[in-house]
Amino acid sequence: MKHIIITLTLLLLLPVTSHATEDNFAFDDPAQRATFLRLTEELRCPMCQNQNIADSDAMIAHDMRRKVYSLLKEGKSEQQVIDFMKARYGDFVHYQPPVTAATMWLWAAPVLFAVIAILVVVRRRKPALPDDMAAKLAQAEAMLKQEKE
Amino acid sequence: MKKLPLVAIPLVLFTLLVLFLFQGLFSDPRELDSQVKGKPLPEFSLPDLMKPDVIYTPEVFKGDVTILNVWGVWCVTCAVEMPYLTQLKNEQGVKFVGLYFDQDLDPDFGTKTLSRVQQEVTQMLARFGNPYDFNIFDVYRDTSLDLGVTGAPEHFVIDHNGIVRMHHIGDINERVWQNKVGPLYYQLMEAKNAEMTSALPQQAGQQ
Repeated sequence: MKHIIITLTLLLLLPVTSHATEDNFAFDDPAQRATFLRLTEELRCPMCQNQNIADSDAMIAHDMRRKVYSLLKEGKSEQQVIDFMKARYGDFVHYQPPVTAATMWLWAAPVLFAVIAILVVVRRRKPALPDDMAAKLAQAEAMLKQEKE
Repeated sequence: MKKLPLVAIPLVLFTLLVLFLFQGLFSDPRELDSQVKGKPLPEFSLPDLMKPDVIYTPEVFKGDVTILNVWGVWCVTCAVEMPYLTQLKNEQGVKFVGLYFDQDLDPDFGTKTLSRVQQEVTQMLARFGNPYDFNIFDVYRDTSLDLGVTGAPEHFVIDHNGIVRMHHIGDINERVWQNKVGPLYYQLMEAKNAEMTSALPQQAGQQ
């Protein structure tokens, strides 16, 4: 019983890649096939916006898969196919956003936040410690003196 | 005096966040930046839907302000907007050209014959009105892809020089026409007429 549960749990952990495509795209070169599969997962369907074109069953996704296939068959490189789609559907069509003035903040904001937070913490701590200690010692000394008297 | 800026920081951050989220309420996630806007139409050479011997190129759009309407008989919204488009054509003389494509994935091996498609189109136009001067048949849907079409109906406002000036995704109804497409259309018509009238005396002078 335990074994079954463990196997089932492990099965759940397996990466699931779904391909709704039933079209047959034949490649002679396995590397090109891999490129095709990678591209259809990276390219985003403009119609059903949260699916890639490998997953989507919209007509436009069919057409885009067909286009990716024919472009690869023509000998176009991965980047050329991405550029082709971007020229028609904009940066939106690729799941990896390019670094532009607007998207720069996606990377810069967390770093900036961390840097500012560290600076604030460091600044607040340093002067506080020795000053306080000296003052407290002096105070304690005074209290002791008072008690003795 | 020194305490004030520190208190203000969370307040400013909160205000910025509220503003950012507030404008998000009104943004349309389906709105894409059109890549063809401001550019001439991509090259194509496609047959007329009804008379396949007639071949069109982007040249047909020169000289007139045109609204290119992407549609198909399988598209319900297209049928809904068709009477209004016909009304625009009859009452205001708006020039519509159809970019027709069919849903069969591969036209070469599809189940539909061309005459079947033509028959369906004729039936539909007879029922809902025919706003089109002519229909361009995008056989392999390549031109739709070049134009960045995501579905149907979609509209491209093309000026008299053959430049795409607007890509409108969705149907044209009274509200869309009055607020979005119409103003641009009239502006382009004015620009075209101004150019025509300024060109006329020159031609007369040359002769």
